[in-house]
Amino acid sequence: MNTGRFVKRLRDELPIWQERGWVTEDNGRAIIEYLEAQQGESRHLPTAIAIFGVLLLGAGVITWFAANWTGIGKLVKLMILLGSLYSTYAIAAFLLRENRYTRTGEAVLLLGIILFGANIMLIAQIYHIDAHFPNGILLWALGGLVTAWLMKSAPAMVATLALGCLWTGSETIGFGRVHWWYLLLWVAILPAVYRWQWRRTFVFALVTLALWSVFTFPAVDADFGTGARLFLMQVYFLAYLAIFIIGLLMDNWSPAERFARAVQGLGIIGTLTCGYALTSPNLQSGSFGYYEAAHRQPADDQWILLNLVATAVAVLLSGWHYLRTRHTETSKWFEYGRLVLAAALVVMIVSLFVDGVHGGPLAIVMNVLFFAGVVWLVYAGMQMGNRLLVNLGFVYFAVTLLTRYFDTFWTLFNRSLFFMVGGLLLIVGGYWLERQRRRITSGIIADRRDAS
Amino acid sequence: MIGRVVLILVLQTIALGAMVGMKQWTLSTGRPVLLETEPVDPRSLFRGDYVRLNYAISQIDVELVEGDDEFERHGDIFVVLEQGDKYWEPRSIHRQYPAVDEDLVVIRGEVIGTGGPTFDPETSELLPGSSVLVGYGIENYFVPEGEGRALEQPDAGQIDIEIAVDRAGNAAIRSLIIDGDVRYVESLL
Repeated sequence: MNTGRFVKRLRDELPIWQERGWVTEDNGRAIIEYLEAQQGESRHLPTAIAIFGVLLLGAGVITWFAANWTGIGKLVKLMILLGSLYSTYAIAAFLLRENRYTRTGEAVLLLGIILFGANIMLIAQIYHIDAHFPNGILLWALGGLVTAWLMKSAPAMVATLALGCLWTGSETIGFGRVHWWYLLLWVAILPAVYRWQWRRTFVFALVTLALWSVFTFPAVDADFGTGARLFLMQVYFLAYLAIFIIGLLMDNWSPAERFARAVQGLGIIGTLTCGYALTSPNLQSGSFGYYEAAHRQPADDQWILLNLVATAVAVLLSGWHYLRTRHTETSKWFEYGRLVLAAALVVMIVSLFVDGVHGGPLAIVMNVLFFAGVVWLVYAGMQMGNRLLVNLGFVYFAVTLLTRYFDTFWTLFNRSLFFMVGGLLLIVGGYWLERQRRRITSGIIADRRDAS
Repeated sequence: MIGRVVLILVLQTIALGAMVGMKQWTLSTGRPVLLETEPVDPRSLFRGDYVRLNYAISQIDVELVEGDDEFERHGDIFVVLEQGDKYWEPRSIHRQYPAVDEDLVVIRGEVIGTGGPTFDPETSELLPGSSVLVGYGIENYFVPEGEGRALEQPDAGQIDIEIAVDRAGNAAIRSLIIDGDVRYVESLL
């Protein structure tokens, strides 16, 4: 925990605790003094210094090899490479033995993973191995995975995920194809994350999953040609919605409760981003400029099937969530959200069967539903005491409003008038939205305070 | 703790050893094939000097050879080579590994690109017809610092590459030959 932020929060809370008689004034002062004294000894500092040191050392080792490499014989090169790898892991084992220097040991483990990557690259150079280059990154990631599993190291698992992301990015962007294999690597980290309750690693894993979906989008789009973009965006919307509902279900399932907020966060950000994209008149009409057909065509069988399957999954998950939460007090506000969601699903199914001429009206309907959904999200965030949902609701409301202003008035208004009205809208609207956001989020904090 | 670290090192060493072993397997069991080549672009930012090799078999005119006509980008391609006057030349191209006579060699590659006219390196003219660009994993050859650029010069001499091709079609550079003199030879240590 960030001690500074904790002390600040505690300063706000202590007067209430004192008022209720839980803590005396002297005790409160003593607690604050104790925590402030600890602030100067932050445990994050040595870790950060150790990790930066490792990164610098790793970079230095690689550049030194690069500068002097050609003058060294093959056998000596191999001895240097393997020797440095072995000695680094030996040092890590020494530091981590009996948990004596855990943080420094973790940093040295990271150096071991970096050196394993350097070994792969340099052995490939020594023996002129010029294979499919993402395979080298995969091998590197697998080395990291083995290290993370066997040493129970969260930083090593984060490094593995970063390498996996690099691997899938190279395959997808470099070779323009959908790369499903990344999901296998991603699933391989989950048992470790769950077993050792690595919440931050899980958040990072979710970020890499989102990046994978971003990499994958243009590859699928290119494979299926014009018109695929809209239907693919709908599938993405439904997939992220399913992830969000899974996050809500995890809230009521104790083994996964610790990870629920992170899943909800990824799900809702993805759902809102895709929903925002679906409000675009360009996407709905299939017109993106000179290189694409002016109007999209109705979806072919594979897109209809894929969209219907994704819709069915989202509906089933939503139904399951309803069954689990119908007796709770907070279930009533879900009704409104379900109504908006059902309408959006119907519009998306209709969208599969119409051509680009109907893109404009569909975009208007999607905009109305999106704004209704965002308002619901703010309400849902208030009910659940979830500030992330409230903040996201306000951000997407403002962004969508601004986008529609640009779409609508760019050609209608005189340019000077356009900017003046736009500026006014930003100042007044931004002020009003921020005031509302602050009012609601402080209400959530106050509720939490009362509940405690 | 010690046991787990040893296990990590054993697994990582096996992975690194497999990289070397596979390459050495190709070099020691593969059939020698001499290829015509032209070095280009000799510098790797991270790994020092290397010769970027463009082979005569890197771009194949689909209409001039037998076999399959259509290939997928980044898909596998198997090129059947036959001995020419000096160099080995493409005879047919296939999507699957073909059965061939003993005097022929099958080399496996990846389709880098398809379509488009063939480029004639001698006349710098584009020849009509569709072609397929192939990468065999033997396009980079690392040399001592400073020598890569020298090899690129027009007066560097005639550069030939002798490769080894194993039974699965994998290729590895065995030696780099300049004006008939063997200059760099691959060895295990």
